[in-house]
Order: sequence, then structure tokens, then C-alpha cells
Amino acid sequence: MTVNQLAFFVLFFLSVIIYYCVPRKCQWMALLGLSLLFYHLMGVDNFIYVIVTAVTITCGTRMMYRVDCRLDGEIRNADVKLTRSEKKEKKQRAKSEKKRWLAGIIVINLGILLALKYGDFFVHNANRLLGLFGMDGVNKLGLIAPLGLSYYTLQSIGYALDVYKGKSIPEKNPFKVLLFVTYFPQMTQGPIGRYQSLAPQLYEGHSFSYKNLSYGCQRILWGMVKKAVIADNLRPMAVGIFDKWTSVSGFTLFMACIYTTFQIYADFSGYSDIVCGVSEIYGIRMEENFQRPFFSCSLSEYWRRWHISLSSWFRDYIFYPASISRGAVSFGKLGSRILPPRIAKMFPAVFALSIVWICTGLWHDASWRYIMWGVANGVIIIFAIILKPQFDAVRNKLHIREEVWWWKGFCMIRTFVIVALLKVFPGAGSTMNSLRIYKKIVFEFQPSLSYEALFLNTESFHLIYAAVALVLFFLVSIMQTKGCVRDFLASKPVVVRWTVYLLLLCMIIFMGAFGSTTVGGFEYAQF
Amino acid sequence: MRDELMEILGRLRPELEFEKEQKLIDDGILDSFDLVSLIGEINECFDVEVSFDDIEPENFNSVDAMLAMIRKLQEED
Repeated sequence: MTVNQLAFFVLFFLSVIIYYCVPRKCQWMALLGLSLLFYHLMGVDNFIYVIVTAVTITCGTRMMYRVDCRLDGEIRNADVKLTRSEKKEKKQRAKSEKKRWLAGIIVINLGILLALKYGDFFVHNANRLLGLFGMDGVNKLGLIAPLGLSYYTLQSIGYALDVYKGKSIPEKNPFKVLLFVTYFPQMTQGPIGRYQSLAPQLYEGHSFSYKNLSYGCQRILWGMVKKAVIADNLRPMAVGIFDKWTSVSGFTLFMACIYTTFQIYADFSGYSDIVCGVSEIYGIRMEENFQRPFFSCSLSEYWRRWHISLSSWFRDYIFYPASISRGAVSFGKLGSRILPPRIAKMFPAVFALSIVWICTGLWHDASWRYIMWGVANGVIIIFAIILKPQFDAVRNKLHIREEVWWWKGFCMIRTFVIVALLKVFPGAGSTMNSLRIYKKIVFEFQPSLSYEALFLNTESFHLIYAAVALVLFFLVSIMQTKGCVRDFLASKPVVVRWTVYLLLLCMIIFMGAFGSTTVGGFEYAQF
Repeated sequence: MRDELMEILGRLRPELEFEKEQKLIDDGILDSFDLVSLIGEINECFDVEVSFDDIEPENFNSVDAMLAMIRKLQEED
């Protein structure tokens, strides 16, 4: 079962009744029971991994908190006022102890993720390496990663790091932690929640609110339009072209990249809308995962507006620590010996960014093509930052002001084309095929306006339905830049509101494509 | 100390009036690249070590917040 199926909504409707019928102090228990039930219905029978995560996180974070409390007590209750060096020594000892607990949490949880998701990838590559020396390989592990493993592992590690930094007071009750780990709407595809903002909302009781119900239903409806009408109509077009990549022109492949870009956005942001809508009905506000990424003027801005919860997780928990690490400092010193000071100063950040993009590629999939996709993103962003003064100088020479609308429009289109071209990696079936497809796009472009060149042999209804919904989607996106569309809709008479809702519902029923074959029903569930 | 910090900030983003800003990180005025460069400069200039624990928006949202963090780090040293 996936969150875009009728069965999900029937069960969700029942779950809302249960949630608001139980006493408020027991609502979190109802939510935990429902989360485990939904997780099971989504095809996961083995709960051992989420239990291990919840138990290790609960114990580890409590131990770190205990170290902090003990340190506070020692400093405050000391018979003789401690000297600065004594305080420093105590703090350092406490920090080392906390680091050991944190390392334990990370090793166990990251270990599970690495073994289940990347085990066979590492074995496969090790075997190839051994084969080069004529040695026999080892058997693959054949482990299956449960849905949502990458999402809840990052969320849990983020929580542990926040406790380590003293930003969060850890929860004592392991069942509450289990709810934080398994909260069902977001478990399989995020958003990757932060403990400080998500957990209190999960644990406290909520009263039923008509506004939450109405706004939540609107959001779910809009998410379903994106998923069923845009993403699932574009998917056959994009997949159809990539499947026949050997017999189509570079231009048609480029068009497939554009369809894939819209498809993946509509698929993933549609899911996020459904998750936010479902949560809103429970009275829980989720972090926004997208902020109109196609309006970005650069690739780095695009990544700040796309899958925000993952980008900010990597920024806070990998980029910053990596950029001040010993490796980054050494890399910076190396840069200062051979490069001008302006560029050398960027070296620690470049070092950290390189790690982040390799991790981002690997996070998406255990494959070389995704590592290459991550590296390509990183290289473009790093060069754009390093060469910014030169780009600005050229723009100034041409007397183009950064704020003029047509320049902004040009930058948005340029960013979109880069993003679309990078979709070759997820679109192609293998690493070698993605390189061959790039070769075709460059050397066999052959542009044409014929139906076949633009859409191959896609049935026209897919095209028309997706196009209508995309126009609507862009109109809504433009409206969002001026204010909250839902508040605007709420201010209209009831007849107007219900006409809009019924039109959206009709779009889903009559124009939606159903029966997606992707893992978990959504593109990002496989990650 | 304030003058030295202002000099670093001025070199980092000459177009900004840092004294007026109170939400440099929360409002995205300084991005992650700026922040890493700033940390490197602060470490070097004030002989402190900004650690992972200190990289929090509230320590970098304003000039006063940065100064308070630097003073705290110098005291701890």
C-alpha cells in the first residue's frame, strides 16, 4: 500500500476518527500504533531495524544527557570554586565521553544502513577488484533494505547530534522515540524531520480543528494532482524514450530529460504535499521540503529549494563539520601554497562540498552513476562559486544588471537546463548508458519539431493531461510567490471553493494515471 | 575586537551593512560558503577554535552574537 492509493485514504480516514476519539494524552500512542500498522501495510514485515534504531537512540542520547547533567552538577556543587583549567579539564572529559556515546549511535545506525543498502554494492566492486588480480570474489550479502531506511536513519542521527550539541533534551520513553522514528506519513520519503520541531508536536495532544481538516484536505488534493496527473502521465513519456535510447536522437533524449525533471518534481513534491496535508489533519505541521525550485537562478540555489530537509541535513551535519575538520584545514593550507588567497580561502568549503556531493550521490542510490551524478552537481556548483568574479565581470562589461527580469529569466532557464541534463543519470539504466546518452545529446542532437521527435510514440492523452496540469501548476507557483494560495482560496465564497475542489478531484479521477510500478509507488521511495 | 571582526565581515561581503543585520543566518543573508570562510578568518584572527558545537545560527546571526561567541571561546581557552 502506498499513500496515493484509495486503501490508504480509507484507512487514514479511520485513523483520524481514532486519533480524535482517544484522550489527548494517549494520542501519541494511537499515532505509534497507526504508524506501525501503516508501515506493515506498506510491505515491511521486519521491525527489528526500526526497533534497534529507537533503542540505541534512546539509550545513547540519555547517556549523553546524563554526562551533561553530571558536569553541570560537578561545576555548580563543587566545594571550592573550580579554577578555569579545572573546569576546562572536566568539560573536555565530558565531551570525550559524549563523543564515545555519539560514535556508538552513529556506528550502529550507519552500519545498518551501509550493510543493508550498500553491502552488495561494496561486495560487487570488491569482487571486480579481486577479479583484476585473478582472485575469487565473495558472495553477495543479499540483504534487503526496508522502505524508508535512509530517511529515518538520517533523522535519528540528526537527533543524536542535536543532543550531543546540547540543542535538544532527549526523550526518556523509547516508545515515544519509536514514534519519532516511524511517524508513518513521512517515514518512507521524508521530509527528514528535526527533533526540536517535530517531536513535541507528535507527543502533545491536538484538538480537532475544521481549519486543519480543510487545509489538510486541500493539500492532499493538490499533492494527488501533482502525483497522478503530472508525474504519472509524464512517466511513460520519459521512460519510453530512455528505454529506446539507442534508436532516438539526442534531441528526443534531451526532451526526455525535461519530462523526467518535471515528473520527478511532481512525484516527490506531490508526496510531500500529501504528507503535509495528512499531518495537518492531525494538527502536526511538517517542514516544507520544496520552495519552487524551478525559479532558482543557480544550481546551488536550486539545491537550497529542492528536498530542503535533505540539503539542510547534509549542510548542518556533514558540510559544517567537514569544513572545519583537520582534513579541510590541511587542504586549505595546501591551496594557500599554490593558489591565489581568494581561491585558497575557499578550499576548506570546497573540500567539504566534495564530500557532501559524493554522499548525496550515494544516498540516492548505491551505484556509480549516482556517484557521478553527485560529483557532476558538486563540480558545477564549485566552479560557479570559484568563477563568480569572472562571470560578474563579463556581465558588467555587457552592461547587464543582475536584477533585470530578462536576465533572471535567462538564469532560471539556464539552471533548469543544467538540472534537466543531469537527469540523464537517473534516467539511464546504467553508468555506461548514461555516458552514451550524453554522447548522443552532444554529437547526434538532430533537433526536430515532429511529434515523434518530441514525444516518441507516447499516447496523446498522457501529453494533454500532463500539459494541462503543468500549466495549472505554474499558475499556482506564480501565485505562491505573491502570497499563500490556500489563504486566498479560503477567502473566497463556499461555492467557489467547492468548485475548485471538485475540479481538482475530477482532474485526479479522469486525467490521473494510476498503477505506478515504482518501488513504494513513488520515485523517491526507492532511495 | 569589534573593529577586527567588522574588517573580516567587510572583506567577506562588502555590500552588506552588518551592524544593521540581526538574522544573517536565519534570513539566508550569509550562505554556508560565507559561514565557512568566516569561521576560518575568526579562528585565525582571534586565535580561537570554532567547533561543530558552536556552528549554530544564534552564534552568527549578528555582529554582537559573533563577538559574544568569540569572547566565550577565548575565555574557555
